[in-house]
Amino acid sequence: MPKSERATFFCLAPETNPEHFSSRIVFFSIVRYAFRVGQTLQFRLSNYLRTFFTAVVILTVLALTRVNGATFTASLDRDTISLGETATLSLTFQDGQPKNIPPLDVSGLRFVQTGNQTGFNLVNGSMSSTVTITYSITAQRTGEFEIPPLSADVNGQRLTSQPLKLTVEKPHTATDAEIDSGKEIAFAKLTLPKKDIYVGETILADMQLYYRQDAQLTQQPQVTGVAVDGFTVGKIAGGNQFLTQIGNTVYKVIPAKVALTASKTGFVHVGPATINLVLSLPSNRRSDVFDPFGMLTREEKQIPVSTKTLEAKSRPLPSENVPANFNGAVGSYSMTVNAGPTNVTVGDPITVRVQIAGRGAFDDVKLPDQSNWNNFKIFSPTQKTEFSDQLDLQGTKTFEEIVTPENADVHNLPEFSFSFFNPDDGKYHTLTQPPEQLIVRAGGATPLPALAATKNSSSENQTPQDILPIKNDLGTLEQISAGRESREPLISSPIFLGVQSLPVLAFLGALIWRKRADNLANNPRLRRKIAVRQLIQIGIGDLKKYASENNSEQFFATLFRLLQEQLGERLDCPASSITENVIEENSKLRGAPENLCADLRELFQLCNQARYAPVRGTAELNSVADKFEMVIHGLQEVNA
Amino acid sequence: MKPGFRGSERQFAQIKRKRKPACVGCYKFFIWLAAFLLFSGKIFAANVPDDFSTANKLYAEGKFSDAANLYKKILASGQTSPNLLFNFGNAEFKAGNLGKAIAAYRRAELLAPRDSEIRANLDFARKQVQGPTVSESRWQDWLGQLTLNEWAILAAIAFWLTFILLAAKQIKAAQVSSLREKQNNFTGKMPALFLRRAIFICGALAILFGVATGLQTAEHFSNQSAVVISNDIVAKSGPFDDAQKTFSVRDGEEFLVLDHHDNWVQVDDGSGKIGWLQLKQVEVLPGA
Repeated sequence: MPKSERATFFCLAPETNPEHFSSRIVFFSIVRYAFRVGQTLQFRLSNYLRTFFTAVVILTVLALTRVNGATFTASLDRDTISLGETATLSLTFQDGQPKNIPPLDVSGLRFVQTGNQTGFNLVNGSMSSTVTITYSITAQRTGEFEIPPLSADVNGQRLTSQPLKLTVEKPHTATDAEIDSGKEIAFAKLTLPKKDIYVGETILADMQLYYRQDAQLTQQPQVTGVAVDGFTVGKIAGGNQFLTQIGNTVYKVIPAKVALTASKTGFVHVGPATINLVLSLPSNRRSDVFDPFGMLTREEKQIPVSTKTLEAKSRPLPSENVPANFNGAVGSYSMTVNAGPTNVTVGDPITVRVQIAGRGAFDDVKLPDQSNWNNFKIFSPTQKTEFSDQLDLQGTKTFEEIVTPENADVHNLPEFSFSFFNPDDGKYHTLTQPPEQLIVRAGGATPLPALAATKNSSSENQTPQDILPIKNDLGTLEQISAGRESREPLISSPIFLGVQSLPVLAFLGALIWRKRADNLANNPRLRRKIAVRQLIQIGIGDLKKYASENNSEQFFATLFRLLQEQLGERLDCPASSITENVIEENSKLRGAPENLCADLRELFQLCNQARYAPVRGTAELNSVADKFEMVIHGLQEVNA
Repeated sequence: MKPGFRGSERQFAQIKRKRKPACVGCYKFFIWLAAFLLFSGKIFAANVPDDFSTANKLYAEGKFSDAANLYKKILASGQTSPNLLFNFGNAEFKAGNLGKAIAAYRRAELLAPRDSEIRANLDFARKQVQGPTVSESRWQDWLGQLTLNEWAILAAIAFWLTFILLAAKQIKAAQVSSLREKQNNFTGKMPALFLRRAIFICGALAILFGVATGLQTAEHFSNQSAVVISNDIVAKSGPFDDAQKTFSVRDGEEFLVLDHHDNWVQVDDGSGKIGWLQLKQVEVLPGA
């Protein structure tokens, strides 16, 4: 875009921009970590599960990663236009949703929003969103314009663009002398059928586009703008092309009609109308040996042409003899009114159809006043306009409304009157439809008929004639919070979102449990250690019980077995092979504290003695049990 | 009995009862308050069926505006239901307020998207409008078969099932390890094939429903639409009273909402016409 002016403002100040990059670094680190976790889980999880897990982590990170580097760019597609041409202003918001964009207001320029697009880009794993709002700019006068800095709220921050400049030049308009000389490649003419018109009157301006016969149109001519002051531009309809000669040059002429409606009184202006032409012209180069006259080689050229500015006088509508029910319709019209059914009961619907046909500005044609319809309930009317010409000037406007008689005293439909001003004869006219007779009976009710007017009988059988009746059941009531018109969706409830973490936690719990079970299954020493601990716990209880029962035989038998189990586990040998000699012989126990070995020896000796003198007192057995507990505790701390 | 207290057990109990701590009063107050808050909604809601019946009677008598006002009063009390909105729409339609009727039907449709009667009346009302209506694409139509909450619940169920089955798979594998631990010759079996298939199906459904929920959420929050509830109004080129007129708008026409500014809303009729309307002239509805 060499001619465009571009102003960019970064959301973050330069010193804070690194945060943006650091957030991306964090994002990529998390993604890399997610892959690594996926790889480490490889031996446990199947392939698809690993992929699912990684995808969930990446999607979660993507959702949680908030890119702060929002930008707001304002740009013009071109910085110089001719009066009547249109420029496009684009407001581009990257990585953020704009809010509170102020209305564009520059004196002499007219802005119309033409689009609002949202797009997403994923480049090298970095996702960005773009919101582009486009406006078409039409100038109302020539000169240099400055579009002021625009401010908008993006991601909670106020961003401002820099001002833009737009130059509007006077379009090239060929003078009469230039046209008559026949040197112009292309030009345009605009003529008005009359210069004295009424406000609200629609006239057809003739616009003719001339281009040299040896030129060829490569694209359809584009009417880029019609500058008006006091006119409203309607539709433009093209005609058949013809040839004409001006001077020594033959031109092709494309005629067109433009509908113009005077919208104010006083002097009104139209033009310049600007048209863009893309023509294929014979080349001016003569160097080619095979094409000395430039007939075979052609070059394409873009030629903007514009018409002169024309002036007309718009007169106000006459203030004399204005009908009471005149409501602004200007043109030439006729009216027909149909109503049916005409034999009804009170409250029955009657469809009233008013058709206004003719020529004029149909936007100003409104349903005639019905303030005298006192005994009828009148429902909101529908309206439909069908045009029979290309310029939307000639056609029929149909109003349809439902009326219901409110009592049986009604005997006819009141008269309809429609008034309009005809600019051709400069007079007001009133069309009146006489009252139509009605037979209204008391009581009863029938459903409303359909409003559509142009339905045949077969379609009437298929389409519903009225809305379905009300429901007597209230249904399930829902409470909505005050000030709101609908319930808050579940998806925005923190409780609902929080509850979704429970199954993930359950899965993680099960995963940890499984890991522990796998560890146990693959480690027999750990298994034995845990089993012996449980055995010792139970055994200590048994010892206390035997001590209280003064059952020394069982007490020492249990004590000996427990010592065997604990030493067997510590020394990683069968429990049955453990005797007192192990304390001296095993190298592992040699490193144990001396008093622990002495206590062990003592316990073994007590067990041996008990075989010959089993009877002991409860107090003595309890002290042995306490010593056993101490010894076991010491043994469990020995590195074996 | 407390040390130092002289008297019978009964006297002690009486005195203990008299010496109520201050927090007991507060406790009772809060119980009453909680009970009031719990049941107050039901007390107020008790009038709703009566009002609803009265409004239905008014409708049957042909007093459509009165019926519509009563339905509106119920809605203003914070209670809503698809049937209530449906009847409200009917009353507004019969009262000649096409835009308000369409807005009510659309609200009812948001609560009960598969109700054929609501759909029929909405279609009928839309046919009476001579102007743009909001048309839905095929995927929007498909998504609209369920409400946003229904999609969210489906996604949550599939998500829960996926992770519960994943947890079950881990538990089953842990049990196999434990069994192997007890029986050294136990060869062990991998979790059954059906469990893996169930995880795959539930995971796929969770993703599908999650995407649908995401799309519906985006629709709900970003694709607002506006229904015109006034007749013979004109859209402006900017959000201020003296802005240029862009196009005329009729009761019941539906537009996409592009932007909000103070008491103005920017609308698009889908064919390139963009203009600003006052908030009081339209009813803004969520997208889904």
